[in-house]
Amino acid sequence: MRCGYGNLAVIKGVSLHVEQGEIVSLIGANGAGKTSLLKAIAGLLPAWGGTIRLDGRDITGAPAWRGISRGVVLVPEGRGIFADMSVMDNLVIGGYRNRDRLLAIERVLDQFPRLRERQRQIAGTLSGGEQQMLAIARALVGMPRILLLDEPSTGLAPLIVKDVFEMVRALRSQGVTIFLVEQNAVAALGIADRGYVLETGEVILEGSGEALRENPEVKRAYLGKGYREVWE
Amino acid sequence: MTVFEPKSEAMRLDLLEQVQLERLQALLARLRRNVRRYREPLGEAQVTRLAEVKQLPFTTPEDLVEAFPYGMFALPLREVKRLHSTAGPLGKPLVLGYTANDLRHWGRLAARQLVSAGVTPNDVVQIGFDAGVFGQSFGYLTAAEQIGAPVVPQDPVHIEHQLEVLRNYRTTVLVTTPANALELVALLASRRIDPQSLHLRTVLLSRPIDQRLRGALGVGLFAGVRCTFGIPEIMDPGLCVECEYGLLHANEDHFHVEIDHGELVITTLSREAMPLLRYRTRVACTAARQECPCGRTGLVLTPGARMDGRLLVNETPVYEAQIAQVLAKTRAAGQPFRLDISERGVSVDIAVSQECFGDEMRVLANLRIDIEAEFMARLGIQAKVHFVTTLG
Repeated sequence: MRCGYGNLAVIKGVSLHVEQGEIVSLIGANGAGKTSLLKAIAGLLPAWGGTIRLDGRDITGAPAWRGISRGVVLVPEGRGIFADMSVMDNLVIGGYRNRDRLLAIERVLDQFPRLRERQRQIAGTLSGGEQQMLAIARALVGMPRILLLDEPSTGLAPLIVKDVFEMVRALRSQGVTIFLVEQNAVAALGIADRGYVLETGEVILEGSGEALRENPEVKRAYLGKGYREVWE
Repeated sequence: MTVFEPKSEAMRLDLLEQVQLERLQALLARLRRNVRRYREPLGEAQVTRLAEVKQLPFTTPEDLVEAFPYGMFALPLREVKRLHSTAGPLGKPLVLGYTANDLRHWGRLAARQLVSAGVTPNDVVQIGFDAGVFGQSFGYLTAAEQIGAPVVPQDPVHIEHQLEVLRNYRTTVLVTTPANALELVALLASRRIDPQSLHLRTVLLSRPIDQRLRGALGVGLFAGVRCTFGIPEIMDPGLCVECEYGLLHANEDHFHVEIDHGELVITTLSREAMPLLRYRTRVACTAARQECPCGRTGLVLTPGARMDGRLLVNETPVYEAQIAQVLAKTRAAGQPFRLDISERGVSVDIAVSQECFGDEMRVLANLRIDIEAEFMARLGIQAKVHFVTTLG
């Protein structure tokens, strides 16, 4: 797929796939095009070319609301919760297009007991980690076939980041398919089955999470080891 | 268990195509960024479908010679964990680099072949390769370690010692070259040793051989004979896996295979240190997609002869032109000669004038020793030199 803003191409021909039940991480530096790619998959940014398929069905160009009812649910960067509303109201909105939302909310609250304790609390007063939890829980109420996570670690303390990633890993064991976009390469590759490395709109590396963590280029660019030096 | 990585080896074809496309796109991006030799020919070329690979430029063995030693590397040298050398066109040296990930992939790909040949952690694997293809032994070594089978790395120069190890260590799987296997058969026969007294179950050979030879080796060593096929510049072993039905399945998750005018053309999809785009292997080959009861979905390769005149003498790659070059560097330079090249050695007839055979016999005998030593030193092959008056 290709996409961009105005006449600026941000994603210059990228192919990727996520299999059912997998966690796939997309890592890359600031401005590599990670969020744009995610927005395009969620239907928030029109694709310039290429196709997006869900279960073999072409969903290219479908508006975001239709994507959600088909099961493509995005957890945006910075969480995007409704800060003035209660935890419960946030969850209800997450199930806006889900007829069985009450059942789904019950199930999600079982999954996140902390949110059940705080279901009447105003969302904006939750801690950062709890807000991230709420954002993910709200997405789960939408019964996603694939959950798109945009930078879940942004603005969180390292210890909380660990918790969030544990949570993501736990979701996978419940059968949720996850596409995770992250700058935090170590954490993202640590929980991923597979990963892609995006650099200025192109995938430059692809492989298992473990292989990517061992890749010298990834180490150099994202894990801060060594510097660039080409043998001539 | 006969398939080591069923998820990759028996991948659904639509998924395989997707994986190949993704890896190819990433490969192009890396080549453009990191390898100067590819930057210009590639330009802004992009592939959106796998079929578009046909529009990309080829890489030839001559390109590798030109880029010697490190011009094809896509990473700084210090990221490369191992360097192997191999022979390029006309015997010119080439360097092959491997990163830590490359080595791990190499081991896993070779392990696919070992597992397909029935190797389990209960086996004792003995590896004996001739000097000319010595590099391959490291692939099998890593592979056996990854499977968890005890492994005996061995040099086959001392064949008596090899046989001793074979008997005493109760080796069950022997990985070797056809030449070495034949030598072992001859040794067993000359020692009146019953091959059944060995514990050998499987012999895995480094290159394909014909059915007749396969049968003879099977009887001579009293073991099942399996062959694999590889291209050293690409990864050998590792390009393909011979299944229990005798078909060579390409490992397509790591290599994209094309046949261009009967020549095998390979793109390495996952190599980090030395990725090659559409590498012309100079090996004649056919490829067919066919269903196999073993479950593997990779293209079935049927390799043929070398297309560049490369010969194998005692498993060492040799070109006829190289032999002439060696002769030109000796005192017999300029004399007319005739070659007889066989799989076991080279026989050279050099024409000298009648007078030499009288008084100069000693000189000729010394010259013969010199020339034979020169062949061993420069090419690593045994040569038999004869002086004749006329080339019949």
